[in-house]
Amino acid sequence: MFTSFEQFAAASMVGSEDAPPRSNGELFFQRLWEGRAFGMAIALSKKGHYEWEEFRQELIASIAEWEAENYQDDPDWDYYERWLLALEKMVLEAKLLTRQELEERTAETSAQIGG
Amino acid sequence: MSERFEYPQDREVYSAAKVKALESLLVEKGIITSETVDKVLNYFEKEMGPFNGAKLVAKAWVDPEFKARLLEDTPSAISEMNFPRGMAGAEGENMEAVENTPTVHNLIVCTLCSCYPWPILGLPPYWYKDPTFRARAIREPRKILQEFGLIFNDDVEIRVWDSSAQIRWFVIPERPAGTEGMSEAQLATLVTPESMMGSAKAKSPSSL
Repeated sequence: MFTSFEQFAAASMVGSEDAPPRSNGELFFQRLWEGRAFGMAIALSKKGHYEWEEFRQELIASIAEWEAENYQDDPDWDYYERWLLALEKMVLEAKLLTRQELEERTAETSAQIGG
Repeated sequence: MSERFEYPQDREVYSAAKVKALESLLVEKGIITSETVDKVLNYFEKEMGPFNGAKLVAKAWVDPEFKARLLEDTPSAISEMNFPRGMAGAEGENMEAVENTPTVHNLIVCTLCSCYPWPILGLPPYWYKDPTFRARAIREPRKILQEFGLIFNDDVEIRVWDSSAQIRWFVIPERPAGTEGMSEAQLATLVTPESMMGSAKAKSPSSL
């Protein structure tokens, strides 16, 4: 039995192939957006927009897709890029956002960030 | 997705922009608030993690009576701490502390990592779940410890504990030399997750 959803979510990933990067026992985010993507995925499931296990399966599939197309130890490997792909898929599948509005907003934001 | 972007910096901008777009749209639609996301992150960064175990160990180092209670009835001693709810209950309820001494060194392994007491020890390192590691730790603990840089004389007894759904073990490492006069909070900074698994010693104050 778990007293909090966060605890349940993390425990489900501990020691499995989809476990997040960590350093000295704590979650390890290299960039700001990684933490936001991590928090959003858990928050959405906590609110009941999808089952946590569904997200995990999507993440595992997204990791497997990369592994099928790239060499092991490819320096371009990026855990949170796979995480983000899984999150995007779940958000679209749950019909929380449409692909079009997400792409438009991404393009706008990208233009702001990229200059 | 990534093949559309030739250069890593484009990938970088794209990922950052995609995350911002997701969050701003979800917030505008009232599906989540930014505070919900902050709260999830805060939970992992401030509430549940190896810093909790470090506090227990530091308290045990300065307070022999607390140490005795921690060894005798671990869950009840944990509940004395002002930890967030759920630490001493549900997940922590079968916790069992063992103490490293000059004559006994404890090493923790686990069969099912879903049982890993991460609210206290933090998330386990990758090698921890490796079946080879577990098998070798049970068969030849001295050799494994040597590979971690821990060399023990033959008169030091090595005990290996297998965490399970029934009992989740953690180690109170030995208090390092030269730490007299350090505060509990300072001492806690010497306690690493590995030291509470028995695959390392607590840090020495000179390493800080």
